[in-house]
Amino acid sequence: MLKIDGISKSFNNKKVLNNISLTVKSGEIALFLGASGVGKSTLLRILNNLETVNSGTLSLHGKPLDLATINTTHTVGMVFQHFNLFDHLTVEENITLPLEQVLKKSAPDAKKIAHDLLTHYNLLDNKNKYASQLSGGQKQRLAIARALALQPKIICLDEPTSALDPVLTSYVANNIQQLAQEGYIVLVATHDTDLLAKLNCTIYLMSEGSIVETAQSEDLKNNPQQFPRLKKFIAGHE
Amino acid sequence: MIIDFNLIVEYFPVLLQGLMVTLQIAAIGCFIGLVLGTILALMQTSTSKLLRTLVTSYVIIIRGTPMLIQILGAYFLLPQIGIYISALWTAIIAIGLNSAAYISQVIRSGISSIGAGQIEAAKVLGFSTRTTIRYIILPQALRTTLPALGNEFVTLIKDSALASTISVPELTKQASFIKSKTFDAITVYFAVAVLYLMLTSTVSLFIAYLEKRMNYHAQD
Repeated sequence: MLKIDGISKSFNNKKVLNNISLTVKSGEIALFLGASGVGKSTLLRILNNLETVNSGTLSLHGKPLDLATINTTHTVGMVFQHFNLFDHLTVEENITLPLEQVLKKSAPDAKKIAHDLLTHYNLLDNKNKYASQLSGGQKQRLAIARALALQPKIICLDEPTSALDPVLTSYVANNIQQLAQEGYIVLVATHDTDLLAKLNCTIYLMSEGSIVETAQSEDLKNNPQQFPRLKKFIAGHE
Repeated sequence: MIIDFNLIVEYFPVLLQGLMVTLQIAAIGCFIGLVLGTILALMQTSTSKLLRTLVTSYVIIIRGTPMLIQILGAYFLLPQIGIYISALWTAIIAIGLNSAAYISQVIRSGISSIGAGQIEAAKVLGFSTRTTIRYIILPQALRTTLPALGNEFVTLIKDSALASTISVPELTKQASFIKSKTFDAITVYFAVAVLYLMLTSTVSLFIAYLEKRMNYHAQD
């Protein structure tokens, strides 16, 4: 269980995250919904030590999480909005490079792990292509596979649908749902209400750095009137 | 006929000797330029203000003075400060150090062109700074700057002619030697120009080949 407790963050005296607290269990999806600039991406970036935090603490399964060492302990995996794949490497090398350089796996071991992940994400036929030659959907699958190679407990996806064709939304939702089924703690930042409709998750509606409404996706579907702000946000974006 | 081909054939062994020395200056000079240029570029893109200032000053001085003066300066200055090396090595080092200043700026532009996302991805995956530089930054920076690097190498080959001023027996020096014996300046300098052109064309073709091979954006 990931516990986020009182996280606050300011950029130049402007508060972008205001006392964010929540818990996410293994196998659950926490979806941070909001317009751009409400701090949802910043929250994911803090979890990946790409931004520092002004106050607040984190713990995983009851043990405090040190943000300064979070990258080197491979606790969190990140799937970036624009994937940030290593375009000069092949699909296979995108996975084997971190395995060899960071986890110090031997080349055959790294290839074996890459082979399994590429099979799982249906990319094996493309393993010798450069990452830059993949389609958008394939790039995202590779970004997920690359993050999973280091066996994180938590996986963050920043705007997973924004760089892809809208027809792929169901497909992206399936991939995310599958991550939860595999037992990962999944955090998603999005403004895409279509994606939200296709996920079984806990929704945190964010506004000006704060969580202003929380709902289970099932409850929102069955009783939208109980969640006026979410209802308004979704209506405004349809 | 203005060009006396018999004379070229007669003195070809001498020209070949000069060509070998020119090749030596060019090859080692390029190596020094590339290695030192890369180090300077990494220093200039580092977070240390001292390192950045040092590199900037170095580049200003080297780029702002003629290479001829740098070669002559090294030739006369080094013995004064107790460093005794051959004229050939004086030329190689002076040309290499000069080239490094230019190459550092080429590679720096390549490093700056790499998106912040690449560095962030490496950081999130737990890469050390060293691993990030070696496997993520430099391969991409060198690839994007390959055409500009090719220019620098071609320039260096042609600039190696300046080594003749400190009596290094490279191609141009051998040419003036043959000219003073035969008084046929046109033939000699024609032959030498063709030899330089062959060298620079080989480098250009090789760079073009590398560019094609490393073009990972091409669809297959």
